[in-house]
Amino acid sequence: MISTPPPITLTTTGIHKSFGSHHVLKGISLDARKGDVISILGASGSGKSTYLRCINMLETPDQGSISLDGESIQMRQRKDGRMEPANRAQVERMRSQLAMVFQSFNLWSHMTVLQNLIEGPMRVQKRLRAECVEEAEQLLQRVGLFERRDYYPAHLSGGQQQRVAIARALAMRPQVMLFDEPTSALDPELVGEVLKVMRALAEEGRTMLVVTHEMGFARNVANRVVFMHQGVIDVEGAPADVFGAQGSERFRQFISSHQERAAA
Amino acid sequence: MIDVDFFLETLGKLLAAVPTTLGLFFLSLLCGGVLSLLIVAMRVSPYPALSWFARGYVLVFRGSPLLIQLFLIYYGLGQFEFVRESPLWWVLRSPYACAVLALALCTAGYTAEILRGGLIAVPHGQIEAGLAVGMSRLTLVRRVIAPIALRQCLPAYSTEAVLLVKSTALASLVTVWDVTGVAQQIIQRTYRTMEVFICAAAIYLVLNFLLVRAVALLEHRLSPHLRARPSPVPTQTRTV
Repeated sequence: MISTPPPITLTTTGIHKSFGSHHVLKGISLDARKGDVISILGASGSGKSTYLRCINMLETPDQGSISLDGESIQMRQRKDGRMEPANRAQVERMRSQLAMVFQSFNLWSHMTVLQNLIEGPMRVQKRLRAECVEEAEQLLQRVGLFERRDYYPAHLSGGQQQRVAIARALAMRPQVMLFDEPTSALDPELVGEVLKVMRALAEEGRTMLVVTHEMGFARNVANRVVFMHQGVIDVEGAPADVFGAQGSERFRQFISSHQERAAA
Repeated sequence: MIDVDFFLETLGKLLAAVPTTLGLFFLSLLCGGVLSLLIVAMRVSPYPALSWFARGYVLVFRGSPLLIQLFLIYYGLGQFEFVRESPLWWVLRSPYACAVLALALCTAGYTAEILRGGLIAVPHGQIEAGLAVGMSRLTLVRRVIAPIALRQCLPAYSTEAVLLVKSTALASLVTVWDVTGVAQQIIQRTYRTMEVFICAAAIYLVLNFLLVRAVALLEHRLSPHLRARPSPVPTQTRTV
């Protein structure tokens, strides 16, 4: 079957990042087409979270370019040779289109669930309160937490908090969703409820970049897998290829150490 | 024996001075509060010169006796002719204004450090969550950083406010007729130290009690997220 591929939504080219003398990212280039679900795997310290945080400028890359829907984030050089965003308003606007879900949820503790969801749409996108509340309530229905809309984050379990965080990200109507190890801080019995929500998002055609250790998600839900090793992309491709014969030797080692850990 | 008539008469005179004490307190709390925001902004700013200035300010005004600061402002500055001839003299020649100035400068040093503690306690993840939805720096401060930091500060700040109420008594030493000043005046005329000072102390005690209750109420109102979980969710679900 021949079909035109969906348009490219997110482009990152040659991303480098160092912390002090530690060269964490050594030129990462990756494109995401509309509807792509890309799993980013790698051992701890391979740079996968740093890469994700560079995409929305929570970390400023030292080199490289990022563009969303054809619009590049404007950078300029500082006196010490490193780069910084040239236009803060542009970064803020692009961030609002690149929703992020964090490992430790990071819900605003002084706001209720509903307030967490409408904060960004109201204060950043300047949408009307009534509209934001209606949409937020629909999103809470979707993640199964409508009844908890007036709770504070401290009164929810980790899995519930992460589902709220996903709903908060969705409330921004983002072009791309970035997940930074969304299940790593959860008790094993709570992982499933979060993965279920993420799977549903993948199925409705959301563009997602997911840094994860969940091999099942990478294998069965993602349409592309990227394996990072020491700051470079070691292997990437369709899950069947990467997990199959075309994967690299290093990736097989990574998988087997993962399985040993799961079996232990 | 306690002379009830004398006691009531004294209480009446001292109560008449409460507005002066409260005026000193609220004015210096307000001015000190505004100043402390400035100091803490400098302290946490990325510019070393501002940060070091704020450190120096806190060192001086927190590290030296308030009474000496007050004397320096009231008695000391008046020695200089250029001060007496400057427009500042309009403020500095008034004992009341000097007392407010000294109290405000001093409390600003303490309050700035309390605020800095509150800022440090804001979880970094919640700041990043604000950045990640595209909040501007102003929105982030207004909607995330300030509400969390100020709640963290309240207990320590209520202590600072109590200390400030008591510090207003020093104003009596530069001829301000506050509660303590009036008490001393009565004692000089009657030599009845015990009754008068007990009466004065009781007034400060009541003021501070009300103050602490007010802050506790504010803290309670602002911290629903730190209280116990609400009662279980009703099984009946609302339809949208």
